Amino acid sequence: MSYEPAINRFLWWLVNRSAEMLESGEREVVRGDLAESGETGGQALRHVVGLVIRRQVSIWSDWRPWLTLAGLVVPLGMLLSVVSRRMAGTSAVYFWMYANNLDPRLFELRGFWYQLADTIAEIFKMYLALGCWSWTSGFVLGSASRGIRVNGLLLCLMLAFGVLLGAPLYVAYFDHHLLLTRFPVLAHQPHQRDPVNALTFYRVMFPLIVQAVLVLLPALWGMREGARAANLRLWLRTVLWTAAIASLVAVVIQNPDLWMFMKLYWRAGTPWHGWQRRLPAALCVLATCVLARNRNHAALARWQGCL
Amino acid sequence: MVGEFEYLVLTAAVRLGEEAYGAAIRREIEVATERRCSIGALYTTLDRLERKGFVKTWMGDSTPQRGGRAKRMVCVTAKGIRAASSFYLAVMRVSRNVSWETE
Repeated sequence: MSYEPAINRFLWWLVNRSAEMLESGEREVVRGDLAESGETGGQALRHVVGLVIRRQVSIWSDWRPWLTLAGLVVPLGMLLSVVSRRMAGTSAVYFWMYANNLDPRLFELRGFWYQLADTIAEIFKMYLALGCWSWTSGFVLGSASRGIRVNGLLLCLMLAFGVLLGAPLYVAYFDHHLLLTRFPVLAHQPHQRDPVNALTFYRVMFPLIVQAVLVLLPALWGMREGARAANLRLWLRTVLWTAAIASLVAVVIQNPDLWMFMKLYWRAGTPWHGWQRRLPAALCVLATCVLARNRNHAALARWQGCL
Repeated sequence: MVGEFEYLVLTAAVRLGEEAYGAAIRREIEVATERRCSIGALYTTLDRLERKGFVKTWMGDSTPQRGGRAKRMVCVTAKGIRAASSFYLAVMRVSRNVSWETE
């Protein structure tokens, strides 16, 4: 049995995936050239990968992609990783409480059901906010760097670094250094999350799942929408950008961990403290995008009707 | 002054005339040089030549042979012809009284 056709099919699949990193016009031309010259899968892959590398090298010889990388990809990747790590840590305690320590006798207590409903609502709001912020971050990145398709890959790498190394180090430094220097008495007390963190699933797997589902997927979706937003009219794009930037500023301001060096963390009583107050800011950009796209479609339909 | 590969692209495009497009130029270069010409090298060179104003490119018609996909048509400008001609004359001048025949 020959594996050649299967290998060739796989190589052509790789060719098509690699060609997606090219601009749509050039992608069509290159695919046409490959079809016309009757290249094998391996040769076609070499041609396409060569062209993609040459294009990326020429893009990265400019200062703008570096600015996007340093100004958006790295800070947003790190910001989302830290926020995601915090939220995963908080929600892991609840999951551990209900999944690992549930006593069936509690079902008979009315207070248990109230508490459960309250917990579910709280976690839902938390996760919704995280998903919306991730989408917004992806949207900003996608609309700021439409031509730089490799930014999606770089964001994935940054998020992987963030969840595996960056955020745990940051959170550990925050918890064990800054917190203990301010409150040395805490050094002799067990941490409230110690029993949860003792389980490998909650310590390792759970943050990864939260990061993949609530950060990576919405961010990539947002990037795609951000790239498409270039077709919207200027004023709609301006509204979207304003909403997106306001939303991201809200994340930074409202997340006290990120301001620890400015000692704002200790102002826990500030009016913005609490996830429920952050949710509207997170949702506003998503809602604005939906409205903007609908308005744009309506305007386009009116314009086509006039013709 | 154009480079060696740029000269090959310009010459192939002029030779093909109205039939000059990516795949055809690549074929011409491969036949003339008896070496493989990568799509990446061709299209990045075409971009560079277009930026310099030596060629104009546009999306042409599609053919069934290409799976219904468009061609990138190429037309050498007067400036491109002058640049290629200047390169050719330079090669001719520098080659004068030089014999490459092996003894």
